[in-house]
Amino acid sequence: MEDRKQITFNVLCFNPEVDEKAYFKSYDVVLEKGITVLRALNYIKDHVDQTLTHRFFCQAGICGSCAIRINGVSKLACTTQVWDELETCKTKDQIIVEPLNNFKVIRDLVVDIDPMIAKLKKYKSWVVPMVKDEDLGKKECDVKPEEFEPINAATDCILCASCYSECTITEADRHYISPLVILRAYRMNMDTRDTAGEERTRLLQEDHGIWDCTHCYRCVEACVKNIPIMEAIQGVRHETFERGMTNTAGARHAKIFLDDVKGGGRLKEATLPLRTLGPIGMIGMIPFALKMGAKGRVPPIFPHKVSTHREVKTLVEQVEKESKKKD
Amino acid sequence: MTYDIVIVGAGGGGMYAALEAIRRNPALKIAVISKVYPTRSHTSAAQGGVNAALANKHKDDTIDLHIFDTIKGSDYLGDQDSITYLCEQAPILIRELENLGAPFSRLEDGSIAQRPFGGASRHRCCYCADKTGHTVLQTLFEQCMRYGIQFFNEYYLLSIEENDGKCQGVIALNLRDSKIHKFEANSVILATGGYAKMYWHKSSNAAGLTGDGGAAALRAGIPLKDMEFVQFHPTGLRKSGLLVTEGARGEGGYLINNKGERFMSKYAPEKMELGPRDLVSRSIEIEIREGLGFESTAGQFIKLDLTHLGAELIMQRLPQIRELCIYFEGVDPILEPIPVRPTAHYSMGGIDVNTSCETNIEGIYAVGEGACVSVHGANRLGGNSLLDILVFGKRAGMEVVERASKSGQPKISDSQVEDQQKYIDGLFGKTHHERYDVIREELGTTLGENAGIYRTKDALTKGVADVYELRERFKKVKVADHSRLFNTNLMQVMELGSMLDLALCVAKGALAREESRGSHSRIDFPTRDDKNWHKHSIFKMTAEGDIAVSDKPVTMGKHELQERTY
Repeated sequence: MEDRKQITFNVLCFNPEVDEKAYFKSYDVVLEKGITVLRALNYIKDHVDQTLTHRFFCQAGICGSCAIRINGVSKLACTTQVWDELETCKTKDQIIVEPLNNFKVIRDLVVDIDPMIAKLKKYKSWVVPMVKDEDLGKKECDVKPEEFEPINAATDCILCASCYSECTITEADRHYISPLVILRAYRMNMDTRDTAGEERTRLLQEDHGIWDCTHCYRCVEACVKNIPIMEAIQGVRHETFERGMTNTAGARHAKIFLDDVKGGGRLKEATLPLRTLGPIGMIGMIPFALKMGAKGRVPPIFPHKVSTHREVKTLVEQVEKESKKKD
Repeated sequence: MTYDIVIVGAGGGGMYAALEAIRRNPALKIAVISKVYPTRSHTSAAQGGVNAALANKHKDDTIDLHIFDTIKGSDYLGDQDSITYLCEQAPILIRELENLGAPFSRLEDGSIAQRPFGGASRHRCCYCADKTGHTVLQTLFEQCMRYGIQFFNEYYLLSIEENDGKCQGVIALNLRDSKIHKFEANSVILATGGYAKMYWHKSSNAAGLTGDGGAAALRAGIPLKDMEFVQFHPTGLRKSGLLVTEGARGEGGYLINNKGERFMSKYAPEKMELGPRDLVSRSIEIEIREGLGFESTAGQFIKLDLTHLGAELIMQRLPQIRELCIYFEGVDPILEPIPVRPTAHYSMGGIDVNTSCETNIEGIYAVGEGACVSVHGANRLGGNSLLDILVFGKRAGMEVVERASKSGQPKISDSQVEDQQKYIDGLFGKTHHERYDVIREELGTTLGENAGIYRTKDALTKGVADVYELRERFKKVKVADHSRLFNTNLMQVMELGSMLDLALCVAKGALAREESRGSHSRIDFPTRDDKNWHKHSIFKMTAEGDIAVSDKPVTMGKHELQERTY
C-alpha cells in the first residue's frame, strides 16, 4: 500500500440544537501512513471543520476518553491506525466513524457516560477496607503476590466504555449492569483487603444483574486492554453459589442446566421456563409460549436421553471434582 | 451555589484533597469541578511509580536519604522544609492508599515491592506493574464515589474570585450547555495540572495540560514560581511525543540522521547514544537545526534504529516499546527505525504555595503539578511527581477542613459573573480571523526552538518577542463553532489563552535566569551560579496583562549547597 493517500471519513454527526436526527458528514483528507484515527479527527477539526466534536485527552491509550466506533467496532481512536482500518472498510478508503452505542449522544461523537458512572456507584465499585478508618496509613496489609493474580487484569480497565457500547444486553435493557461494572465488582470481591463482598454480591445477583448476560463475548472482543471480562462474569456467578445466593431465576436456571445435562445429557427446554421462573413467573411467558406453539416450535416435554448420557455424567462429575480441588 | 470547599481538578491531587476533607468532616459540602471526567486526568499516565522510604527492599533506606536525594535532584532549588514534609509523609501516604485498595505490586513476604529509579540512592519506588498512576487514580475515584463526593465533570475554570485578599470561590463554564456557573466558597483548592503542553507537538502531555489554573491564578493576582523549569526527555515519538524509554538505547539502539550517520559520535564519541539525557536531547536538536533531520507533516525528527538488535531481543526486552511504536507511529521497530525527537514532559514550576499549600490569597490553595511548593526545584526525580500530588493533596484537604469552621459567607456578585460572560461573548467577535491551531502550532515551535532544551540570550529574546506577538494575534482569534452544546472549539481557544500567558512566564523566566541549573540549560551561562541565582523566580501579572519577574529566597535546612554530580 502507498504511504500517502486520500481517505474519506464518514462521521456520524448530530447537534441536537439544530439537527432533527444524526447524519453522516464526509471529510476527504490526504493522510500519510502511521497516522491514528484520533490524529485524523484532530486534523479535520483544526483544518476543515471546527464544529466537529469529539473527546480526547492523553492520546496514549490510558485515559479512555476517545472511545468511538470505527468501522462499526468500539475502540480507542488514539490507538487505532488509519492504515489498519483501511483493510476493514466496506467501501474502499472510506472509514466510518460513529459515537459509542448504548449511550445518549450529547453532540457528534460525544456521549453521556453518566449512566455508566451511576452503575459503578449502584454496585459499590470500591474497596471497603478491612483497616479501620482511624488506623489507615499505619501499616501495610499483608498481601502475597499470588493474591493479586485474579485482579491484575481487571485493574487494567480504563473505563473507556467500549464493552458497554458493544454489549447486546445493555442495548436491550438500559438498566442492565453492563460488562465493565461486573468486571469492577469482581475486582473488588476478589481483593483480599475488601470487606463488602457479601453486600456487593447480593446487589449483583438482583434483576438487571449478572444473570442477564448471555455470553455473546462481544465485550471480551471489544476490550481495548484485552481483559478476559467473561472470567469475571463467571467468577461472580460462581460466588453467588458459594455465598448460598441460589434463590434467583438466574441461579436456578444455571442449576437446572447442570442437573439436566447430568441427568439425560440434554436440556429439557419445554419445562425450563417453569422451573426457572416458577408458576407465577411463568404467567408472563404464556403469550410467548403460544406464539412458539403457533410456529410449531414447542420442544418435546420429555426429551430422550442422549445415547452417551453416562459419559456426559462422568465428564460433569470429573469437572466438579477438579473445581472443588482448586477451591 | 455555595459550598464549604471547591476543588478545581479531579486528578490525584484534587481527589486526595476531597477524600481527606470529607473523611475529616462528612458534613462539609464539597464540589469538585473538572474539565474532564476524573479517571481521564493525566495522573493516569504516570507509569513508573511513587517513592517512599518504606525500606521493604533495601532495609537501610531512610527518610533522610529520600530527603537528600530529592534536594540534590532539585539542584538545590527545592525548599528543604517542604521536601522534608514530602518525604516524611511518603510512607504514611503509600500505606493509606494501599489500605484503601491501590493494588501495589508485592514482594514475596507480602509487603509492597520497591524498585530502583533515577537519582535515588536506594530501591524506593513503589509501583503497580507499569500502570501505577492509572491504578492510583482509579483507587481515588473509587473512594470518592464511596464517600459521595459531588463531581461537576466537564466544567472549565473561568476565574478565581477574591475580595480584599479573601477567597470567594470560582466561576466556571459548563461545557455541556455553555452556561456559566458560580461556585461560592471560602476555600478553593486548585489542582489543575501542569503546563508543558504549551510545547504542543513537542510534548508528551495530555491535550489539556494547558495551565488553566495557573493562568486564572495570575489574573486573580496570585503569583507563579520557577516557571522556566520544564523537564525534557530526549526520545519522544515523532507524532505523539510519547516517551520511548532510555532502555531502548540501553539495549543498543542507534540514533541516526538523514545521512544514515550515528551522529552521537560527534557529540559523545565514547558514550555514544548512552550520553546523559540533556546532552542527547541537545545533540538531536542540533542535528535537526542543521537540516540533518527527516521531514514529515508531523514535524522534523531523527531515527532511533533497533532493527539490528533482532526480533527476539526486541520482543523479549522491549515489548511495551514495540507496542507503543506500532500503535502510535504505525512503525514496527523490528522492521524499521523509530521516528523520535526530544519532548517536554513535566512542569516543575506552578502556582506559588508554601508547605501548607497556601497562596497569597487567604483561602486559596494549590497542589500537584500545577502548583510549585517547591519540592522539585530545578529538576524533578522520577517517582516524586505522584508522591507530590498525594502528600500535598492530603495536606490541602486537612488545611481546608480547619478553615471551613471559621470563615464567613462567601459572595460572588452578578457583575463578576457578567464579566466572564462578556469575556466569552468577546471570543466570538465577528471580525476575528486568526486561527487557533496556527497560533498554537507557532507557540509550540517558538518555545521548542527558543525556550527548549538548550537556551541562549538571543534565542530567548526572540522567544519572548514571539510570545508577545502571538498574544496580540490571539486577541483576534476566531471561534468558528457558535453552538452552545459541548463547544470544544471554544474550550481549545480558551486553553490557548492560558498557554500563551504561561508561555510568557516560561520564556521571560528563562531569559532572566543567567545560569544553568537542573532542567534549565543556558549555552551562554553553562554553570550553576549560586551567588546570583540560588533563588526562586516569581511571576506576577501586571494591571496591563504583562508579566513581571521578581525573585524570592530558597528555604534551606541542614543540607548545604554542593556540586551536583552522579
